[in-house]
Amino acid sequence: MGLRNFILKRLVYSFVLILLVILLNFVIFKGMPGDPVQFLLHPWGRESAEVRMQQEQNLRELWGFGEPFEVQAVKYIRNLLMWNFGTSYIERRPVTESLGIRLPYTLVLLGGSAVLSILLGVIIGIMVIQKRGSVVDSGVVTGSLVLGSLPTFWLGLVFLLLFYNILRWFPNKGAFPDAWAFGWPVPFTVSSSYTSTSLSSVFSLNIMSAWTFVAGYLRHLFLPMLTLTVFSIGGWILLTRATMLDAITEDYIVTARAKGLTERAVLFRHALKNASLPIITSAALSFGFILSGAIITETVFTYPGLGAWTWTAIQFLDYTVLMAVFYIVSICVIVANVVADLLYGIIDPRIKYG
Amino acid sequence: MLRRFLGFLRSLLRNGKSIVGLILISAFLVVAFGASLFTPYTPIGEDPLDRLAPAGSNVPPAWLRSLPTWLGGDPALSENMVIVQNPGSPRLIADGGEFKLETANPNLSVAPSDISYPYPLPLGYKRYGGEGSLNVTYTRKEGTTGGEVKAVIFKDFDFPYNGPPDSFYATISIQVNGSTTVSGVPPVDKLKVPVKVNVFLGLVDGRKFPIWPPVENIYYDVRMPRGFTKDKLTGAAGPIERPLFGATVFDSVTGTFINGGWVTSIKNELSTIRSTSQELVNPKSVFPFPNDPAPIVFSSTPSRYAYGIEIVFVDTKSTEDVSTTVIIDDFGLLLKGTSFGLLGASHRGWDLFAQLLYGTRTSLYLGISVAFFSVAIGLVVGLAAGYFGRIVDEVLMRTTDVLLVLPGLPLLIVLIAILGASIDNLILLLGLLGWMGFARMVRSQVLSIRERSYVEAAKAIGAGEFHIVIHHILPSVMSLVYISLATSVPGAVTAEAALSWLGFYDPMRMSWGRMLNEAVVEAGAITSWWWILPPGILISLLAASFILVGYALDEVLNPKLRLRK
Repeated sequence: MGLRNFILKRLVYSFVLILLVILLNFVIFKGMPGDPVQFLLHPWGRESAEVRMQQEQNLRELWGFGEPFEVQAVKYIRNLLMWNFGTSYIERRPVTESLGIRLPYTLVLLGGSAVLSILLGVIIGIMVIQKRGSVVDSGVVTGSLVLGSLPTFWLGLVFLLLFYNILRWFPNKGAFPDAWAFGWPVPFTVSSSYTSTSLSSVFSLNIMSAWTFVAGYLRHLFLPMLTLTVFSIGGWILLTRATMLDAITEDYIVTARAKGLTERAVLFRHALKNASLPIITSAALSFGFILSGAIITETVFTYPGLGAWTWTAIQFLDYTVLMAVFYIVSICVIVANVVADLLYGIIDPRIKYG
Repeated sequence: MLRRFLGFLRSLLRNGKSIVGLILISAFLVVAFGASLFTPYTPIGEDPLDRLAPAGSNVPPAWLRSLPTWLGGDPALSENMVIVQNPGSPRLIADGGEFKLETANPNLSVAPSDISYPYPLPLGYKRYGGEGSLNVTYTRKEGTTGGEVKAVIFKDFDFPYNGPPDSFYATISIQVNGSTTVSGVPPVDKLKVPVKVNVFLGLVDGRKFPIWPPVENIYYDVRMPRGFTKDKLTGAAGPIERPLFGATVFDSVTGTFINGGWVTSIKNELSTIRSTSQELVNPKSVFPFPNDPAPIVFSSTPSRYAYGIEIVFVDTKSTEDVSTTVIIDDFGLLLKGTSFGLLGASHRGWDLFAQLLYGTRTSLYLGISVAFFSVAIGLVVGLAAGYFGRIVDEVLMRTTDVLLVLPGLPLLIVLIAILGASIDNLILLLGLLGWMGFARMVRSQVLSIRERSYVEAAKAIGAGEFHIVIHHILPSVMSLVYISLATSVPGAVTAEAALSWLGFYDPMRMSWGRMLNEAVVEAGAITSWWWILPPGILISLLAASFILVGYALDEVLNPKLRLRK
C-alpha cells in the first residue's frame, strides 16, 4: 500500500471518528439535566402563563424537539459539520461569534508556550546529553520530573504571588490593562481622502501607541505563558534525552565518532536527525491538546480565552458552548494525529505504510 | 514464585530512584494513616460557623514570632491563650478554684453548687470544663436596709505578647432566682431585688471595659412565669440563646416575656480585635459595642489584665425578707492569637498543618484507587481487544479512540458537576476516563504474544481460551501492569487537585486542592505563602515519588533499558 492509499485510509478513518465523536456529544448532552427552552426564555419574564406556554411551544417546534431521535441526530450531525453551533444561552449570541473572539487569545497563549517549551526543552535535552551521567544530568532529570508533576494552577499561583503580589512586575489578570476599557490605544490609522478622480488612503502608524498596545498585551501574556512553558518544558527535556540516548547507542554513531567528528557534530547532525522523529510526532500531538490545557491556566489568570469561556459555560451549564468546545477540541486532536502520522512518513523514509 | 518476587524486590531496591520513591511513598502512607496521631486538631469543623475553630482567622505560623523582621518575622504576633482553665465550674480560690472575690457586704455569700446550664449545646459549640456553677446569693432580713450591693468575681492574667489577640471567645451562662412579687397584666413574677450584670475585661489601673454592653436591671425572675409555657420568639421552652446584651428578660420589641431559664452567651458573636489602630482613633464608633474593650485593653506591650463579672443587686426595699441568687456557669475566656501552630490557620481558623496531613490521606486514597480501577479496565479491554481481535478489537479500539480525542478535563468537570463532587464519584470518573492509553499498550503487547509459538502449542494441546489468556498471555503483560499502576497515580492526584481548585471538592474531606481553593478563591489570601506553598509542594512530591518508582520498575522489568547506560 502506497502513501496515497494510506492517506486516504487515514482520512476516511478520521471522518468516521469525527462522526462517532459527534454522536457521543449528542448522547452526552441529550442525557444531561435541564431544559434548554427554559434556559433561553427569560426566567423571570412577566408574560402570562398561556403566552409563556406558546413561546416554549414555538421554540420546541423550531428546535425540532418533537421529531424522532434519529431525525434529531441527523440534524445535529449536519449542523455540526456545517459549523453551526447555535446560540449561547448565557451570552445570547451565536457560539461561532464568541469563538472567533476568544480563539486568538488561546492560540497565541498556548501555541506560543508550546513552541517555546519545545524549543527550550529540546535544546536543554541535547545539552544534558553531552554531560550524561554527571550531576548536572541527574539534576536536570529530577528537576524536569518535579516540574512535570507540579499542578499547573499552583505554579500559576506561585508566579502570581511572586511577580504580582511581591514584585509588582506583571499584572494578575486579563489580557489587557483595565484602563483600556475606556479607550484603546490606536496603533495605526487609515485615513481616506476623496478627490474628484480617485480615492487615496493614507496609512499612518503611531509608534508610541503601537508600542503601548504591544507592551500592554505582552505584559499580560507573560505570566500565563511562563506558567505553561515551565509546566511543559520538563516533558520535552525528558523526551529529548530519552530519544537521544536511544540514538547514540546506534552503530552509525560509533561510525561517526570513528570518523573523528566532533561531539557536537555527532549529536546535532547524526543523532538528532533520528531522535527528532518521536519529538516531532509528540509536538504535533501536543498541539491537538492545546485547548484542553487552557482551562486551568486561564482561570488562574482570568485570561479571556477559550479555557475561561469553557469554564463559564460549565458553571452555567451552557450546553451549546460546551458542545462546540468538545467538538472543536476533538477535531483538533484528530487532525493532529493525522498530521503526526504523515510527518512520520515524510521525515523517515524507512516507514512502510500498511 | 516467592523467590522470583524476592529477586524482583532485590533488584528494585538496588535502584537508587526506586529507593527514594519508596521512602517518600512510605512516608506519605505513614502520614496518611497516622494523621490523627500527628495533630490534635481536626481539618474541618462540622459547624459552618466554625465557632470551635482553634485559631484566629487566616493567621500565620507561630514561629514567625521569633524570626527576624527582615526575614518576614513579626514580633507583634500573639498566640492562643486559655485564660480560664475550668469555665464549666467556676470556683473561688478559697474553694480550690481560680477566681477572686471582691465584696464588702455581709449579706452576700458566694458558694459552689451542682447546678449546670442544663441544655445540650447546639452543634458546633463546645462546653469547656466540668459540671457545676458558682452561686452568688444576696439575702437580707426584714428591717435592715439594703442599697446597691456589688460583688466582683474576677481572674488576673498576664498577657505576654506585644500585639493584641486576633479575637476572643468569651462565654457565660446566667440564671437569676429570687423572691418575687406578682405584678403586671398578664401576671408575671417580678424580682424584689433586680440585678445588673457586667462581664468585663479590666486593666491594671482599675478601669473595666464591658465585653458586652452591661445587662441592666434583671427585674424579672427568669424561672417560668405563671401563665406562660412557651417562648414567644422561638416557640419552645428552653434556653434563651442570645447575646448577653440582649438578655433583658423583658423583650421590648414584642412586648412579651421571653420564657425559659437561662440566659447564655454561648451563641454570642466573637468580638474581633484585628484592626486596632483604626478603632483606637474613634473607639466610640465601633459597632455594635460603643465600649469595645479590645482596641483599648490590648495595647502593644505585655501587661496584666483581669477578666471578671460584676454583679449589682439593686435592693431598694427594707420591709421584708428578700433573697436573690445569680447562678454563673460556663464562665470562660479564650484568646485566639494572631499566629498559630506550625503552618498557621485558615480563614475559618482551622489548623493548616492538620489540613495538610488529612489531605495526604485523601490524595493517596484517591490516587491509588484510581490507579487500580483504571488499570483494571485497561487490562480487560486491552486483553480482549488484542486476543479476540476482529469485531471485538474494532469496537473496543474505536471506543478508546473516541474517549482519547474528547477533551479530558472539560468532560470530567461537566460529569462531576452533574454527578456531584464526592470522593467516590471522583474515583469512578477518573478511573473511567483514564484507562485508554494503558489499554492500547496492553493490546499491542498481546498482539505480539498471541503469535508466539508457546501460545500456538497451548492451543494445539487444546487449552481453552480463558486458560490461554490467564496462564500464557497475562503473565507477559504483568510488568506493564506494575509500571502503569505506579505511573497513573500522579495523574489522578493532580487531576483531583485541579478539580478541587476549581471548586469541585468533596465537602466532607480536606484535600490539598481544596486548601488552595479555600486560600485563593474563598479567602482571597494569595499573599499567605504559608498557606499557598505547602499543598503544591506535597502534590508534586507525591507525584514525583510515584513517577520515580514507575521509572525504576521500567528499568528493572525491561532489562533492555539498562544496557543504554
